[in-house]
Amino acid sequence: MKTKFLKLSLLALFIFTASCSSDDDKNEIPAVVTTKVSNLEAPQTGGQGQPVGGPFTKFSFSENKVVTDNNWDIAFRGTTIIVNGGAKIGITDEPERTGTGAVSIVSGTFASVTAFPAATTFAQDGNATYAFPTSGANAWYDYNATTHIISAKAGKVFVVKTHDGKYAKVELLSYYKDAPATPDATSASRFYTFNFAYQANSTTTF
Amino acid sequence: MKSKITLFATALFCQICASQEIKKDSVEVNNLSEVTVTTGTRTERVLSSLPLPMTIITSKTIMKAGVTRLNEILSEQTGIIMIPDESGFEGIQMQGLDAAYTMILIDGVPLVGRTAGVLDLSRVSVGNIERIEIVKGASSALYGSEAMGGVINVITKKPKEDLFSGSLSYRYATFNTNDANANLLWKKKKFSANLFTNFYSTDGYDLDKSTPLKNVESFYNYTIQPKFYYDFSENLKLTVSNRFYNMKMDNVAIIDSENYKGDAKENEWNSQVKVEHKWNSKFYSEYELYATNYKNDSFLNDSNNVLFEQSYYDQWLLRPEIRTTLSLKNDKITGGVGLNYETLDRTYFDKNVNFNSQYIFLQYDWNPSEKWNVLTGIRYDNHSVYASQLSPKLAVNYKINQNFSLKSSVGYGYKAPDFRQLYFDFTNPSVGYTVLGYNVAEDRLNQFEAQGQLLNRTAGVNFDNPLEAESSINFNFGTFFKKDKLKIDVNAFYNSIQNLIDTRVVAQKTNGQSIFSYFNISEIFTYGLEFNSTYDFTKEFSVSFGYQFLTAKDKSVLDNFEDYQYIRNSDMQTVQISKSDYFGLYNRSKHTANIKFSYTIPKIKTDIYLRIFYRSKYGMFDTNGNQILDKYDTFVSDYFLANFSVSKNIGENFMLQAGANNLLDYTDPSQISNLSGRQLFARIQYNF
Repeated sequence: MKTKFLKLSLLALFIFTASCSSDDDKNEIPAVVTTKVSNLEAPQTGGQGQPVGGPFTKFSFSENKVVTDNNWDIAFRGTTIIVNGGAKIGITDEPERTGTGAVSIVSGTFASVTAFPAATTFAQDGNATYAFPTSGANAWYDYNATTHIISAKAGKVFVVKTHDGKYAKVELLSYYKDAPATPDATSASRFYTFNFAYQANSTTTF
Repeated sequence: MKSKITLFATALFCQICASQEIKKDSVEVNNLSEVTVTTGTRTERVLSSLPLPMTIITSKTIMKAGVTRLNEILSEQTGIIMIPDESGFEGIQMQGLDAAYTMILIDGVPLVGRTAGVLDLSRVSVGNIERIEIVKGASSALYGSEAMGGVINVITKKPKEDLFSGSLSYRYATFNTNDANANLLWKKKKFSANLFTNFYSTDGYDLDKSTPLKNVESFYNYTIQPKFYYDFSENLKLTVSNRFYNMKMDNVAIIDSENYKGDAKENEWNSQVKVEHKWNSKFYSEYELYATNYKNDSFLNDSNNVLFEQSYYDQWLLRPEIRTTLSLKNDKITGGVGLNYETLDRTYFDKNVNFNSQYIFLQYDWNPSEKWNVLTGIRYDNHSVYASQLSPKLAVNYKINQNFSLKSSVGYGYKAPDFRQLYFDFTNPSVGYTVLGYNVAEDRLNQFEAQGQLLNRTAGVNFDNPLEAESSINFNFGTFFKKDKLKIDVNAFYNSIQNLIDTRVVAQKTNGQSIFSYFNISEIFTYGLEFNSTYDFTKEFSVSFGYQFLTAKDKSVLDNFEDYQYIRNSDMQTVQISKSDYFGLYNRSKHTANIKFSYTIPKIKTDIYLRIFYRSKYGMFDTNGNQILDKYDTFVSDYFLANFSVSKNIGENFMLQAGANNLLDYTDPSQISNLSGRQLFARIQYNF
């Protein structure tokens, strides 16, 4: 994890320097880098008949890490994901929305999503509404009532407007520790693995 | 694997070659009397001219195979696949339709007790079976609900001559399996009687010894079947038949790593009273009263012997029916009227529920000429709970010549929503999700809401319109060829099924779990081809080959493929697939085949019977995140099975038999739970 982080930092640095050096050429925006985040822990209290609670794990795309301040973009608790924009949904231990974040859901492979979706397709959290739906066709996961396994849907790309108005695309991969290909009842849950690509530049594509 | 397929192909090829040779040699005359069947029309009919796809299993075949339970002999037939469904219960798949859609009859009256939609056919002993008739394709025009994929009718033996006869047999097999039969037949002039008893016990089997639970726990059961016949005259005959079945099984479970033990019991009782009345040469009537009760009880105690869980199921069916056949010159008109009264009391039902239905059916068996047979039928069912059903059927047989005929049929089939889909009220104690029957869902949701257990209801869900019956349109087109030593039977089928009932989330609970209920959701279709051939090389040696090709798909998946086109590859990355990668429904193999060698050595009165079965790969569930089965999913691999038996007659009365089921000892413990390892057996039988 640490070495991966170091590598990514180096890569980010490289891109940063590279983009600095090509400042003259304004037409060329460098391709975004896809970053994989593994085993992001999103614990919750309660569940299984008890009221759900506990703090959310907040994540910042620009910093590529878990943060505790208001610079978070999305936050996780159990299977629930919230965005830093809009208003409180009305669930226990929910953080205030301080940013202008929103979410648009696109079907496709991660790489195929290159253009930012239309502004009208973005949704924010609000009273009793989730920007990341918890059920239905656009929920990020499927729940198997027989095996009780949560599986991240393939082909659902969440384009997130960050708390400060930038864009990132996210694809959730796994809800289980070390992202096993076929999780079973013994797999430790509430460990997110996801891919994201953050566009720091002012543009309309990834 | 390749070599086995080659072997298969070679065997088939030989059969075809041989059949071509025989055309030159037409000296031998086939004197076999025509087989008559009753299930297809409810009147006696010659099999070869019946315009419906049908399979017959004779008592001789059952005896030769050395098997003891109904599921075992059925699984040896082309186009019949015995498979465990999602819930782990083994059932029958016919023309690609699940077990819930095949009606099972004993002597023309149905078995009940579909606890989870599937009938356990191992509860029927084959010891007193005269023959089994299998009609494939929708048969609701005669049989009503359930007969959507077909009908299997088990016909038991009946005393024919004035004497006391019978058989005693005992069979011992691997897994300490015992099967003892006594079948006594007695007839004196007008009175005859038959008593069949069977005792069966087994230790069960365990494919994975590392887990504390067995695949099948040890159990025993017995069957007692007394039947009485009295012929008042040539024209008025009475039959009273009864069947009692009792089973007791060890019930073992592990819940949250705690061990639980108990018993599971099954009790079944069937009683049929039938009067056959021949008014004159034209009119013939049958009056039938049938009652049956299927009951099961099970419990689990914890390690301190304190009751942990108890469940029961108690179903009754009462059915009076009258049928009359008018025989005209070449034609027959059959009409019937009857009613069903059905009750069910079970765990997870709020109260005892009952169904009432009345029905009437009419059939015209028309023979306009030597070559043509046209069978038309229609049935109307009026039901107390769901919408009434009108089920028509039309079938045509055309005899091109003595040896060759074409047949085609189109029919409507339906399956009414069952008790569970309407009245279930189940909350999983350890996980907390809830399943509600359609008719009780609204009230229960309101109760949950009043108790503050409901987070939200799924938008757009309501229970205003009643749940509809699942229905199908079935087409068959086939040929029947018989000449000299060769018999070929080919049938192409197509089933289009609407209003398939499935579960859907109707609300979220505050505990984070969902509430499910049943809805008419999907539309599926199945089509395929069934091929059966038998060739008698000599009087002593015959080979038969059977093959089924099957495609079964969900129409909504094809129509909305964009919702299913992304899968996750082994690196967890999303990949797009195309429509042609959709494999079809779960648990369906594209290819199934069998080849059977039967060899008789008259000198030493010995029969050798070898059967080889093939099932191509199939998928049990989605493994790559798109909710459907596509070719990139993990499949259960294809496999071969072989059953072998040798029977030897000693003197007039004794028979010895030995053999092996699953001779090659093929198992797949993690994927195929109903396939035990090799089972060797030996049997002794005394006939008198």
